[in-house]
Amino acid sequence: MASEIVENCSSHDPLLDIDSSDSSSGVKTDEYLELQFRVFRLTCLLTIFSVGIAGFFWGTQASASLLVGALSGIFYFRLLARGVGRLGTSSKIVGKVQLLVPVLLVLGSSRFPQLDLIPALLGFLLYKPALIIQFLSMP
Amino acid sequence: MDSITTAASVVAAGLAVGLGAIGPGIGQGSAAQGAVEGIARQPEAEGKIRGTLLLSFAFMESLTIYGLVVALVLLFANPFAG
Repeated sequence: MASEIVENCSSHDPLLDIDSSDSSSGVKTDEYLELQFRVFRLTCLLTIFSVGIAGFFWGTQASASLLVGALSGIFYFRLLARGVGRLGTSSKIVGKVQLLVPVLLVLGSSRFPQLDLIPALLGFLLYKPALIIQFLSMP
Repeated sequence: MDSITTAASVVAAGLAVGLGAIGPGIGQGSAAQGAVEGIARQPEAEGKIRGTLLLSFAFMESLTIYGLVVALVLLFANPFAG
């Protein structure tokens, strides 16, 4: 009886095999991380393009505000992705911490005169074209 | 800024955030419910479901952000302040 139990335990059961389940969940999270990375890369490309255009047409202050907004948009998206990644595993709800990012951006633009509100908000929303491109390119 | 403008701005800010968060809140709840159910039924599709959920959340939450930005502009950078 005991030898049978030992034999069952040592056999290759995928439900008990921690390494194999880890590797399959690793593939799933890899897919999710790859999506995040693609959106991040697209947002960075759009940011570089927009900051260049804003600097050429509207000056340094507008392009700096756009850059700050775009960076805060990337940070917001990262926080949102982390909340969605935790959903169902370690958390039952998606946190709302990421909403503090636009709040701080608007407060900062009202506090610091170097930061223009409209370019900062437009920069913050630069993650949306990246999302739309990503959404359209999904199979 | 006179007192009527201040009061109207505060009321409008509250309405912008409150009313603007109702729809995305309901939508995010139902989307999260569907995604968690889908992951429980098909664990092998977890990555795709999470990715789609992330994109949907980003689109839905931007509506909340619009209301939030309008409210914050009304409170801290009011264009109607004389």
